[in-house]
Order: sequence, then structure tokens, then C-alpha cells
Amino acid sequence: MKNNLEKTAKMKSKPGLIRNVIIIAVVLIVLLLLPQFASDYIIYVAVLAMIYAVLAGSYDLTTGYTGPLTFCHGAFYGIGAYASALLTLKAGFPFWVAFPVSGIIVFLFAAVVGYPGLKLKGHYFAVTTFFFGHFIYLIILNSVKLTNGPMGLRGIKPPESILGIDFSSLQASYYLILFFGLLAVVFLFFLVRSGIGKLLVSIRENEELSEAIGVNTSFYKVLAFSTGAGIAGLMGSLFAHFFRLLHPSTFTWMTSEMVVIMALVGGLGTLFGPIIGAGIITLILELMRFAPEYRFIIWSAALIVVLVIEPKGLMGIVGRIRGGKR
Amino acid sequence: MSHILEVKNLRKEFGGVIAVDNASFVVEQGTRLGIIGPNGAGKTTSFNMISGSFKPTSGTIEFEGKKVSGLKPHKISRMGIGRTFQIVRAFGELSVYEHVLTGIMAHNLRFTPTADQHHEVDRILELAKLQDFRDVTVKNLTIASQKLIELATALATKPKLLLLDELMAGLTFVEIDETLKLLRKINEEMGITLIVVEHIMKVIMELCKKIIVLNYGEKIAEGTPQEVANSKTVIEAYLGEEA
Repeated sequence: MKNNLEKTAKMKSKPGLIRNVIIIAVVLIVLLLLPQFASDYIIYVAVLAMIYAVLAGSYDLTTGYTGPLTFCHGAFYGIGAYASALLTLKAGFPFWVAFPVSGIIVFLFAAVVGYPGLKLKGHYFAVTTFFFGHFIYLIILNSVKLTNGPMGLRGIKPPESILGIDFSSLQASYYLILFFGLLAVVFLFFLVRSGIGKLLVSIRENEELSEAIGVNTSFYKVLAFSTGAGIAGLMGSLFAHFFRLLHPSTFTWMTSEMVVIMALVGGLGTLFGPIIGAGIITLILELMRFAPEYRFIIWSAALIVVLVIEPKGLMGIVGRIRGGKR
Repeated sequence: MSHILEVKNLRKEFGGVIAVDNASFVVEQGTRLGIIGPNGAGKTTSFNMISGSFKPTSGTIEFEGKKVSGLKPHKISRMGIGRTFQIVRAFGELSVYEHVLTGIMAHNLRFTPTADQHHEVDRILELAKLQDFRDVTVKNLTIASQKLIELATALATKPKLLLLDELMAGLTFVEIDETLKLLRKINEEMGITLIVVEHIMKVIMELCKKIIVLNYGEKIAEGTPQEVANSKTVIEAYLGEEA
């Protein structure tokens, strides 16, 4: 029995690694070459897909790995976007300062909200985050003097050129977002596989046992919540300086819900699942633009079908095909 | 022998219910102490207070001369008190190996586990005779195995004192004998002090050097297994007064 177990473990790991490396290499090459042959429209869609992919990946850190269900990722995305835009417009910061600062602002903001909020458990916390997300939207909408409210914030500048690269062009912006998107994914990848990632999973699996074996669960929950939020804030900053026009309607509860759906479809707690899920869903939604009234209906029905067939999402289906672990 | 744990006038009220009432006892370094009593006597509540899950209403708990009552469970765990739960708790989605490794990470966090830490997991799995289940997902194992995994994970946190809450409940006789051997080994070779709550008298009588009897939250007897078994108050608590 023991030998069999060892054999299956070994068989799974070796070819699996090579296959994963090949898949990642192909994806990277396609992403790198995309602006060379694709139309501007496709590049726009790809940028949106990458931003959503990182949002869903960072959401997975909080909800998929650590456990607390949240519905306010879009709010952190929005705070990051407006913080970065306002820092450059009103305080005259260059983008390269406003970008990290907006990430830090969102991180700290999430820590301040998360510290008392995460004392609530389960559904109570989920409902709180839902209203928190809506609350942030209302603040952005109604602080007309600061955010220009429903008129939208215009005149946001593209990132200043460095090393002779002019980021006002579409292609250069694409590569900028690709670079930081990959950086965020690599960071998340190593974080969830590290010792800290193991502690986060232990909180998700059984908070009381986790606490009993010496994990400071309240600290790590706030850490995961704020780190996920901080990455969303950075993505918001990139979004603001890419589209150069912000409107509160981009950051309604619908955005938060989209991130949740992307992560669910991809498979919570798998990191790559939500990333792939976000990419696929953004593309599908764009392809269905010919029927704007129907696309959310079709899409919702598709979501229900996926979750009925496989609650663990796309990664669950992949695992089934491969013959998942016992 | 010196005292590893000292409990003084411990009291816990839940609203109007007094779960533990002025219990005081000391635990000697390296001993195997049993806590018994009828249902609702306050055994698990006492455990929950020692491990920090509950705050005592009044009274103090000192571990190695330092006050632990009122501290958070993770701090108490870090000071060297490990525990298992009456109703088995496990990280169901992890493999057995990862489960025990999490216990090590919880106390000695590294970005990636070191070779020593991996060896430590293997050593603990071998000690608990879990090496055959190394890569199996915990939730797919029996309750008996999950209890053993919980014990192994507690061991991974390098405790000086281990609180075992009905570890043997639901185990077969063969499994009980195996686990008894394991517990003796943990106590004698690793020098870990054990406090066990158990309803199975065979376990208490064979394992424990000293027994404390609780009834309605009060300590009614204390002594060696023989003394307690022959105590009139204990017999009355379990079976009622003689007519």
C-alpha cells in the first residue's frame, strides 16, 4: 500500500511540472506578442481581462485561501483608482509615486476596516462587506468636490515615460499592465505556497484548531484581507492611468460581484483558477456585446450550470480529468 | 517534583449556570493526570480555560510560574500548552503531511519549510504510525485516524503540556491499546506532561498516575487510581447514595 501511494505521488508530480511549464510559457508568449498582431479593440479587452484576472487572484487570497467571504473587492479597486488619480491631479504626484502610495493607502484602509470587521464571522462578515462596498460607492458618487461625482473624473495623465518608453501609447500601457499584473501573480503564487500560505489555509479549514496550534488567526486574517485589498488598489491605479477617465459606476457592487463570480467559476483556493476564470469571463462578456440586454441572463445561467456540475469551478473540472488526489 | 501547572479557585459561569466552581489543583512536571466526572461536571470547560478558549470568571491558571488565564489561545499554545478537541477538528482539505507541517509552521514560521522541518514531520508521522497515510486527504480518513492526526499536529507544536479531551472516544479496543502505548511513549520519552479527560475507565486506570474527580463543577476527590476507585464520594457521584 505504501509503495503504491509513493508511486502515484511521484507519477503525478514529474510530467505535471513539465506540462505546467509548457502551458505557462505558451500563455506568456501569446500575451507578449498580442499587441503586435491584435487590433486596438482586442488590446483594450486584453487589458481589462488582465486587470480582472489580478483582481480575482487577489480576491482568492482573502476568500479562497483564508476563508472570509467578502463582497467589497470592487470598492478597494475603486479606492485605489481614485486615490491614484487624485494624488496625481490634485497633489501633483508623479504616477510612479502615486501608484505605490495608492496601494499602501488601500492596504492600510483595509486593515483599519478589517480589524474590527473580521471579528464578525461567516455571513455576518459577508453582509458587512457588501454594505461597506456600497458605502464606498456612495462616497465616491457624492463627494462631488473631490471626485467630481457622477460627472466623472477627467484629465488623468498617463504614467510618465521612463527609459524612453512613452506610456501614452496603447501598446506601451499594455506592456506596463502586463508587467505589474505578472508581478502581482508571481507575488501571490509564492505567498500562498509559503509557510504563511499554509497558516492562511489552516484558518480557512478550521479557525479554532488553527488558533489552538498557535496561529494568531485575527492577525493573519487582517493581513490576508489587506494584502488582497492592496493589490486591488494597485490594479485600480493602473486602471485609472490607462483609461484616464474614472466614473463611480465602474465601482458599484456589480464590480465586486463580478470578481466573486470569476473566482467561483475558476475555483476558489486555487489561485490560477480565478485568474483563468477572470480572463475567460471578461472575453465572453465582450464577445456577447451584440446582445447587451441578454448577456447577463445568459451568463448567470451559465454560472449556475457550472456550479451545479462542479462546485469547485474550472480547476475542479481540470482536477477531475486528471484524476484528483484521494 | 516541580509544578508545571497550578490552577487556583477556578470558576466559570455561563449566565446563571456554574460550569466550574472553585476548582484548585496542581499538575506535577512529567506526570499523567486524569480528569473524570459525570457529564456536565466541567471537564471540557476546564480544558477550554487552560487553553484560553474561555476566560475564567474568576481564579487563576499558572503555567511554569507564569499566569496564562485570560491570554489568547495562540499565545498559550506558543508558551507550550497543546490540546486536542472533544469533537474532532481537522484541516480537512490538507494531506496528512501538510496537516502536521502546519503545526510546525504555526510555531516556527519559515517562508519555505526547511529540511529539518520536513524530517520532523516524517518523524512525527512515524511515531504516530501515520506514515502510510502521508499523502491522503485528511477528510477522507476515519474519525479515529483524524484524532491521531490532531494529536500528531499538537505534537508538532512541541508542547510541554498536552491536554487530551476524550481522545479515545469512539476507538476500538485495538486502537485504544495502540494509542495508550503512544501516549506512554510521548510522556516517558519526550517528557511531555499529559492531562487526559476520558470516560473510558480502562484508559484512566492504566494510564494515569493521578486522578481528579469533578462533579457539578467542584473537585470532589483527588488521588491515585486505586484511591479514587475506592472513594465513597466518587461512587456516590456516579451511582447515587447507598440506600
